[in-house]
Parts: sequence; structure tokens; C-alpha cells
Amino acid sequence: MMRFRTRAFLCCFVPFALLLAASFWLIQQRVLLTVRDGLRRSLLEKHEAVARVLANSDLQSSRFLKVVGENAALKAGVQLLLTYPNNADARRTVEDQLHELCDRMGFATLMVSGADGTPMAGVMRHGRDAGPLDMARVKVSPSGLMLLDGAAYQVASVPLDQAGENLGTLSVGEVFDFSQFTTPTVLLHNGQIVKSSVAGAAPAEVEAAMRACEGTGECDVALRGVHYISLPMQNISFGDGYVLRSLQNLDSAVGPVQNILRNVFLSVALLAVLMAMIVGVGSAGSIVRPLATVVKHLQAAEKTGDLTEFRAGDSGVTEVRRLIDSFNRAAAAVREGRESLTLAYVEFVQSLASALDARDPYTAGHSRRVSEMSSATAGEMGLAPEMVERVRVGALLHDIGKIGVPDEVLRKPGRLTAEEFALVQQHPTIGRRILEGVNGFSPYLAAVELHHENWDGTGYPRGQAGLETPVDARIIHVADAYDAMTTDRPYRRGMSHAEAIARLREGAGTQFDPEVVRQFAAVTIEQADLAAAQAYAC
Amino acid sequence: MYQRGPAVELGKDTETDPLAAERARVVIWLEGGGAGPRPTTVLPGTPPASMEQENRRFEPDLVVIPAGGSVSFPNMDPIFHNVFSLSKPKSFDLGNYPKGDTRTVVFPKPGIVYVNCRLHPNMAGTVVVTPNEWFARAAAKDGQYELKDVAPGNYTIVAWHKTTGFIRKAITVTGQDLTIDFLVPIDPEAASSGGHGTEVSHMGTGHSGAVAR
Repeated sequence: MMRFRTRAFLCCFVPFALLLAASFWLIQQRVLLTVRDGLRRSLLEKHEAVARVLANSDLQSSRFLKVVGENAALKAGVQLLLTYPNNADARRTVEDQLHELCDRMGFATLMVSGADGTPMAGVMRHGRDAGPLDMARVKVSPSGLMLLDGAAYQVASVPLDQAGENLGTLSVGEVFDFSQFTTPTVLLHNGQIVKSSVAGAAPAEVEAAMRACEGTGECDVALRGVHYISLPMQNISFGDGYVLRSLQNLDSAVGPVQNILRNVFLSVALLAVLMAMIVGVGSAGSIVRPLATVVKHLQAAEKTGDLTEFRAGDSGVTEVRRLIDSFNRAAAAVREGRESLTLAYVEFVQSLASALDARDPYTAGHSRRVSEMSSATAGEMGLAPEMVERVRVGALLHDIGKIGVPDEVLRKPGRLTAEEFALVQQHPTIGRRILEGVNGFSPYLAAVELHHENWDGTGYPRGQAGLETPVDARIIHVADAYDAMTTDRPYRRGMSHAEAIARLREGAGTQFDPEVVRQFAAVTIEQADLAAAQAYAC
Repeated sequence: MYQRGPAVELGKDTETDPLAAERARVVIWLEGGGAGPRPTTVLPGTPPASMEQENRRFEPDLVVIPAGGSVSFPNMDPIFHNVFSLSKPKSFDLGNYPKGDTRTVVFPKPGIVYVNCRLHPNMAGTVVVTPNEWFARAAAKDGQYELKDVAPGNYTIVAWHKTTGFIRKAITVTGQDLTIDFLVPIDPEAASSGGHGTEVSHMGTGHSGAVAR
């Protein structure tokens, strides 16, 4: 029963909970997507702004470069360098020139390279002062970014031409500045970190985290437990292998929204789950209750062995009502079957008793009479109806054991010998043995076996005394004796009623239960009167 | 890296007069004369005047020589220099040369020769080539100059400064001392306002036939 109730509850509750969880999840995903979209858009806008700034500075650089590119002294210097490629003084001369330009123009680095791109001389500002560059370490690209000592420079170049001949290239570099980026930004060169403005994370960590993003567009990065959305800058080319990625803190953007969502959903979900639980329990109960009554009734029937019908009107559930109806039909059928069986069996017992009695004309009707008197006495004694029925049937059967006693002994006129009497004395035991094997006769075994036990314990076959003998046996004992005394025998006439009652009263307390005798007398007096009245009427 | 020159200490080199150095850059010489232009008096073997390149400057930045004289341009800097001139009296290009190298140029014709360095546009020097040996530079302190042993005759006396150019006066030398004063407006603004030029006076002594040795 409990299991059915649990199942009904789960059937009500689980789909609801699942639906709730699914909708929560869906809405959260939707919100996250929206937030993410917003972040992406703001990143793109920032990228555009930065691109504009960078393009502007590029334009300025190129304007300046156009002027410097025409500097005759510098051209002369480059020519000098070309003439004395490995001369320290020559290099120093150009470095000196670049230094002056650098001082004048405020660039971070200035370099000249030959027509074939070989770096020849350069200077770089270190703090306030500019110093020469070891050009062996430098790989100048005409535009884009250049890495030097781990720092990135944004480079612009102009050709140095003399009389239509290209002498080389002048490149200026500005420190690549992140300050124009309002979001954390990472510059990577071939997957290695060059510069990072991610606060609170070591470059190595950033590099490791960024490895997952290599070659992808938008990607998610986790840094020290903080989640970022990362977008490569696409509107500007920084040269081969350079990727500039800006990051937006996903957590700080999503966190507040998620908190609100969580709070709302937590309260709503709690309420909904509570409702679902109450509704689930209620509906489970309403589903199970009608069945539970049926089941309870069945259990009771099982305990008593009595299959009774019950009122079908109770249940409002059609199926349960049908169940009750069919149960009732089954119960009725079983009861009818049992009743007809009982009827058949009683008829069988009566015919058996009659057949037994018919062996001797003198005992004809004996069992029936004893049965009638016994049941009347039992009724008078106020015994339960089942007990009265048991006395009635037990009395009908009480002498069944006489089947095993030879007719010569039973019909013998006159006194029995000791052996013959011993044979007769066996009939209760034989009767018990006969009935023992038959289904449904067990309630009558006591009456059959013990109806010759005396009140004082002198009877047979066990010699039980007083209340040790069941009441049905005690009643039948009295009725049997009375009928035996009052019927005629070949060798004597039957006693009168009064005489027999007197004899019984004599035996009360020794042979018979006094109480039974008293009640028996009360019942039979009425019957005797009735019989006498009938006799007179004839 | 080649260390740039020492910081300029303003107001120290010029003592009390900020124009003193400029005054010394005024050159005075004689042109013409009754005897006609004198041939060069530069004797073979005379060591050339020197204009060094040091600290990215010509040092000195003004050299005066008589026609036929020569100037050497030694490079004292640890970087290359390139000395050239496009001036009419003498144009030349010494090419690039490093420290320790020197090149010498002969100036046969009189005139003003501006000297530059291709590698360093800010370097400028001047070689004043006079027609004869009667030339002098004004004293830094008071602007006095002296031309000695000038042969009698008619001359043009020239005062020259790179910002003012030539100031010419006709004179006649008779063997007596002459004093010729010039107002050289070194500062163009000062000159136009008629105020503070640099006064240069000539305190020559005229001794006919005398030749300075």
C-alpha cells in the first residue's frame, strides 16, 4: 500500500520537478547567452575604437616619416653605412643621427635597414636616454609589431630613396601601448605571451590559459577561477604570428544577473516544490484511499476467513467501484458455493446417520432425536449459534463409530459379555478415526469421541472429568442417555419421560453435567408435554 | 655610442660682453690698391691652417687665409664626418672619413667659402680667403684691428661678418695711420633699429713698401 502511494506521489511530483528544473536551466542559459552577446558586442565596439586610435597614430607616424625620409643627412649616413658596412665609426655616425631624430621626435626606437631588409643601425630610448641597438638581435618588419627584449613595438616604415635608388628603410617604433584598451588585453606571438594587462595573473598562467584559444575566434578562458570571454582583434593586422586578444570578465557580468535569477528561482522553486509535494501527497492519497479500503477489507476477510461483501457506494472512482462490484460478486459466489457445500454435507451427514440408525429398528431415528434435543438444550443454555450448529451436527454423527461394531453385538438382545461391551466401548474412538480424515468434520470430533465421558471421570474412552470434556459432548451425553432410556428395546419397554428425567437427575454430578441435565430437563419437559398432548389428540 | 658634447654653459665664455665671440668673427681685409692685387705671399712649405671637426662642430668655425693657402680638416670625433663646400671660390667634397683622418684643401681664389658636413647639417664653418696678406680679425674685447705695413695707394677696405655680409669702404693709404670705423650690425634687429652694432675701428699704420712677414 505504501509503495503504491509512493509511486502515485512520484508520478505527480517528479514530472513537475523536472519541468521546473528544465525551465530554470533553459532560462538561465538564455540569460547567459544574452549577457554573453552584450559582452561580445561591447568588446567589438572597443576593438573598433582602438582600431581607429591605432589608425590615427599610424597616419601621424607616416606623416612624420615622409618628412624624415627626405632627410639628406640621414640618407648620407645610410650611404656611408653602405660604403662601410662593418665599420663601427660609420655605424656610430648613423646611430648619432638617429639619436638626434629620436630626441627631436620622441619615438621609442628608430632603425635603418638596407634595401634587402638587413637591419643596419638603430637606437632605442631607455627611459629618458636613447642608446644604440644591437641590430643582430633585431628582426625588423616594415610594419606591424616588433618584439624586442620582451617588449612589443608598433612599427611604421618609410623607404629612403636617393636619386631614384632605394638605399634602405627607416623604421620608427612606438611602445605598443595597452592603455587605450579599457579591458584586459593579451598580446601573443605564436602562442607565446608578449604582453598582458590581465590583473592578478602571472604571464605564464595567462599563456597556459590562452593555449586553448589558439587559432579560434571567440573563446572562453578561465584564469584563477575567473571566467573570461576572449575575442581576437580582427580589424587590425599586427603582422605575422601576432594575435591581440581582449578579455571581458564573464563572471562579473553574469554574476549579478545570475544571483538575481538564483534568488528568484530559489524562492519560486521552493514554493513550487512545496506545492508540488502537497498536491502530490494529496492526489496520491485520493488515488490510493479507495483502493486502500478495498485492501483493508480483503485483509480483514483473510483474517476471519469470512468473505463478506461491502457497500460499493463509497468510492467515487469508477474503476474502484468496478473492482468493488466484481469483488462483491466473487464474494457472493463464494458464499453461495460454501452454503451449498454445507447444505450438501449436512444432508450427507443426516443420511449417514439415518443409514446407521436404520441397521436396528429399535434405534431408528435415534441420531435425529438426540440431535434435536441436544441443539434445543444448547439453545436453552444460551450458546452461540455456531456452537448450537456444532452440537446439532455433532449429535447427528455421534454414533457413526458404531459402523465398526458388529451387528450381532449391537443387536444382541440381553446382557453383553465383557468382550462385547469392550467392542461397543470402542465406537467413539472408531467414529473419531472415521471423521478425522474428512475435510470439514474437525469441529465435530470432540462430540463424536467424548460423548461417553462422565462428569466424575468414569466414562470412556479417555476418562475425562468435569469441564475437561467440551460442552457439546456433555450435552450429547445427556441426550443420548435419555433417548436410550425412553425408547423400547426387544428385551424391555422404554421408560416414561419423568422416569428418564429422574434417572438423569440421579446421574447428575456423577455421570452427567448437572447444569446440562437441568437445562435438558427444562427443554424436554416442554417437548414431553407437547408429545403427550399429541398423544391425547390421536 | 659616441658621447655627445658637454653641456653648453651659457654666459661663461663671453665674459661680460655676450657679443665678444661674435666680434672676433668679424674679418677685415684690403682689396685692390694702386699696385694692383698682390700675388700670394704664401710660401711653399707653410703649414696649412686647421679646421677640426670636434663634437660635431667645426673648430674653429672661422679660418682666414690668404689666397693660395690651404686648410686641413682633421676629424677628431669618433664618428664619420663629411666636409664639403658648394661655394664659388672653391667647391669641394672631401667625402666621408673617420676619426684620425685628415684632408687638406688649397684655396687659390679669394672669397668666402662655406664649409658643411653632409652627415651633420648643423655643422657649418667658414673659410675666408683674402686676396693678400693684409687681413685681420677684430679683437673680441673691444673690436680693435690693425693692418700693418700697407703700401700707399687706393684700396677698398672690407669688413665681413657672416650675418651682415660685406661692408666696403674706399680708402687711400698715404703712409700715415688711418682709422677706419665700421658699424657691423651683427644682430640684424639691432642694425635696423640703428642702435647697437659692433664698432670696429681701423688703426692701421701706413708704411709704404713695407711687407708684413
